[in-house]
Amino acid sequence: MFDQSKAAVQGNALLFKFTKGLKLNAGAGPNGNIPNVPEINHVALLGSDYPSVKFEVKVTEGDEVKSGQIICVDRDRPEIRFIAPAAGKISRISYGARRRLGALVISVEGNGELVFDPEPASKDRLALRNLLLESGAWTSLRSRPFGHIPNLDSCPSAIFITATDSFPLAVNPSEIITAQSEMFQRGAEALTRLTDGPVFVCQVPGPPLIETHGRLEIVSFSGPHPSGLPGTHIHHLMPVSHQRSVWQIGYQDVLAIGHLLKTGRIMTKRTLSIGGAGLAKPALISAPLGAKLAELVRHLTSANSPTLISGSILSRRDTAYLGRYDLQVTVLERESPVRPVRPFWHRLLDWLPYSQQKAIIPLEAFERVFPFHILPAPLMRSLAVGDVETAMRLGCLELLEEDLELLSWLCPSNSDYGALLRRALESLVEESGI
Amino acid sequence: MRVSDTHRYAFWDTNRVIAITVLALLPSLGVTIWENGSAIIAPLTFLAGLSVFWYSVFARLRQMPMCWDGISWAILFVLFLPDAVPLWQQGLALSFGVIMGALIFGGHGRGFLNPVTVGIAFLLFSFPGSALQTPTVSTTIAAVYGGALLLATGLLSLRIVVGFAGSFALLGTLFSVPDLWESARNASLLLGVVFLIGDPIAAASTNPGRSIYGLLAGSLVIFLTLSTDASGIPAATVFAALLSSIFAPLIDQIVIWTNVRRRAGRQING
Repeated sequence: MFDQSKAAVQGNALLFKFTKGLKLNAGAGPNGNIPNVPEINHVALLGSDYPSVKFEVKVTEGDEVKSGQIICVDRDRPEIRFIAPAAGKISRISYGARRRLGALVISVEGNGELVFDPEPASKDRLALRNLLLESGAWTSLRSRPFGHIPNLDSCPSAIFITATDSFPLAVNPSEIITAQSEMFQRGAEALTRLTDGPVFVCQVPGPPLIETHGRLEIVSFSGPHPSGLPGTHIHHLMPVSHQRSVWQIGYQDVLAIGHLLKTGRIMTKRTLSIGGAGLAKPALISAPLGAKLAELVRHLTSANSPTLISGSILSRRDTAYLGRYDLQVTVLERESPVRPVRPFWHRLLDWLPYSQQKAIIPLEAFERVFPFHILPAPLMRSLAVGDVETAMRLGCLELLEEDLELLSWLCPSNSDYGALLRRALESLVEESGI
Repeated sequence: MRVSDTHRYAFWDTNRVIAITVLALLPSLGVTIWENGSAIIAPLTFLAGLSVFWYSVFARLRQMPMCWDGISWAILFVLFLPDAVPLWQQGLALSFGVIMGALIFGGHGRGFLNPVTVGIAFLLFSFPGSALQTPTVSTTIAAVYGGALLLATGLLSLRIVVGFAGSFALLGTLFSVPDLWESARNASLLLGVVFLIGDPIAAASTNPGRSIYGLLAGSLVIFLTLSTDASGIPAATVFAALLSSIFAPLIDQIVIWTNVRRRAGRQING
C-alpha cells in the first residue's frame, strides 16, 4: 500500500524518514509555555480560505451574532455551515471579484455562545455528521484531491490527522496534544466513524499521542520540512487520484471536535505561534479563528505597522486576518527581504536589483526539497503555462498549495506555484463536473 | 496592501544566478588575462558590449525586461577563443549564439541551448581551422574552482558531472584514447562541462534525465575526439554539449513517460 523503500516499522508504528526537504533556519521556535491571550476586537471569515465555495450570507451588517451562530452557507450545499468564531456585531461584509465573498468581519462584543447537544452524536454516525455540520466543524475537514470541504455523502478511503508541523517557527503539536490528550482521543475516535478506512494520526517519532485500536493508527514522519505536511503523508501512505479521495484535518481541529463532543461548546480558540525577523522572540498565543493579525501582535512589537503573514515565512498570504487552516503568524521587518538563511554570500547578493525576468531555471535543488514521486521541473513548467492536462498526468491532483511553497521559494522565476496549482485544480473540477 | 511589492518571496532570481555564474568565471578570466596579457581585454570589452547590445535590442523590441546574462556569455566566449581569431568573426559568432541560442526563444531560461555552445559551434563550422584556446595548469585550477562554486550553490547538478566523468573515464579507457588523463585536465573540457554541458537551461531537467544526459555528453566527447583528429578536445566538448542539449528534451520526455506509468501503477496497487 505504501512506499516500502522509505517506511520502517518502529514498535508497532510505521516510521517514514525523509532526507529530502529544506531546513529553514529561522531562529528558535516558541517555548512550550502558557500562551498569551491578547485582546482581539475583530475576527473575520475569509472567502479565500475556501476555494470553490459560493457563499450565501445569512446575516447583514449590524446584526448581533453569538459565537457558533450560522453566518453563511455554501449555496450549492446548504447543509455546510460557516459559523461565527466569536460573539459580536457584523461590522463589514466585503465582496471581491465576481461577487465572491471577500471578508465578513465581526466586531467582538460580549460572550454569548450557542451550545449544542452532543449526546446523539456519541453513537450514531449520521447524528455525528449533523453535529459537525451544525457546529461548523465540518469546514475543518478538507478532501484531496482538490482541497475542498468534503461532500456530505462522500466516504473517504482514509482520514489523515496531521499532528506534525514542520514549518519554521511552528507550534510543537505534541505539547498541545499532550496537555489535552483526552479531547484528542475523543475527537480522533469520532473521526473513525466517518470513514470505513483507517484514520492515520501522523506525528513525529516519539511517545504515541493516542491509544491506537482498530482502524485508528499512528504513523511517524521525520525529516526536514515538508515532512510535516499532510500532502507528504498522504502521498506516501495512500496516493489520491480521481478514483480515490482522502480527508485531512489538523490536530487543533481534532481537539475542537473532541471538546465539542464532550461539552457541546465550540472551541474557536487556536494556539498559534508568532515569530519572524520583526520580532525579538517567538511567542505562543491563544486566539480565535480569523483573528485580526494586527491585533494578535500589537502587544509583542512596538513597530507601527509591521508586515504580517498568516502562515509561515514560506506562505504568500497577505491577508489582514488569520487564515482558517493557519496555525502561525510571521512578522516581517518592514522594507526588508524575507530571507530565512543568510550566509555571507547572500548578503553580497543583496545589493543586486530584483530581476523582472520570470523564466524557470530547472535546478537540481528542486528535487532536493520535494519528497514526492513527482517530477518538479516538468510540473512547474506545465503549471506555469497552464497546461492542465499535463499537470494532471504529472500528479498535480495529489498536491495542494502548501506542498509547492518550497519550490516557489527556490525557483528563480518567482512564480507562486501554489496559486497556479489552485487555478489548475479548479479548472479540473469544472471539467470533470464534480 | 500587497506584501509582494516590497518583499522577496524566493531566494533565487535571474540576476542572482547571473552574478554567481560570473563569480565562478572570474578566476578563469583573471588567469587568462595574467597569462595572455592585456591583449584579451579589448575583445572581452567588445564582446560584452555586443552581447548587452543584442539583449537590449530584444528587450526593447519584445518589451521584455532587460537581462544581463550576456556578460557571462561574453566572458565564457573569450575563455574558449584564442586572440588569433579575428574580432569580426568572434563578434559574428557571439551574435549568432545569443540570438539563435537564447534571444529568439524569449531570453534566458526560455530556450533549450546554451548561447556560447551555439556561437562556438557556429564559428567552428563557418571558419574551419579556427583553433580553440590552449589551456594551462592554472586555468584548469580556476575552472575547477568555478565548478566547485556552482556545485556548492546548487546551480550545477552533481548528477551531470558524475555521469559525464563516469562515461568519459569508462569509454576513454575502453577505446584507449591517447592522453586520456591529459585531456581530463584540459581547462576547456572542464569549462565546457561546468558552464556549457552543466548549464541548467541546456541540460535535462529531471534527476534521472540529468544522469543520462551526463553519460551521453561524456561518451559524445570521447567519440568526437576519436573521430575528428584535428580539432581536439575543446571542439569535441563544444559539439558534445550542442548534441546532448538537443537530446535533453527527449531524455526528459522519456523520464516523464516512465514516471507517469510508474505513478499510474502506484495508484492501482496502492
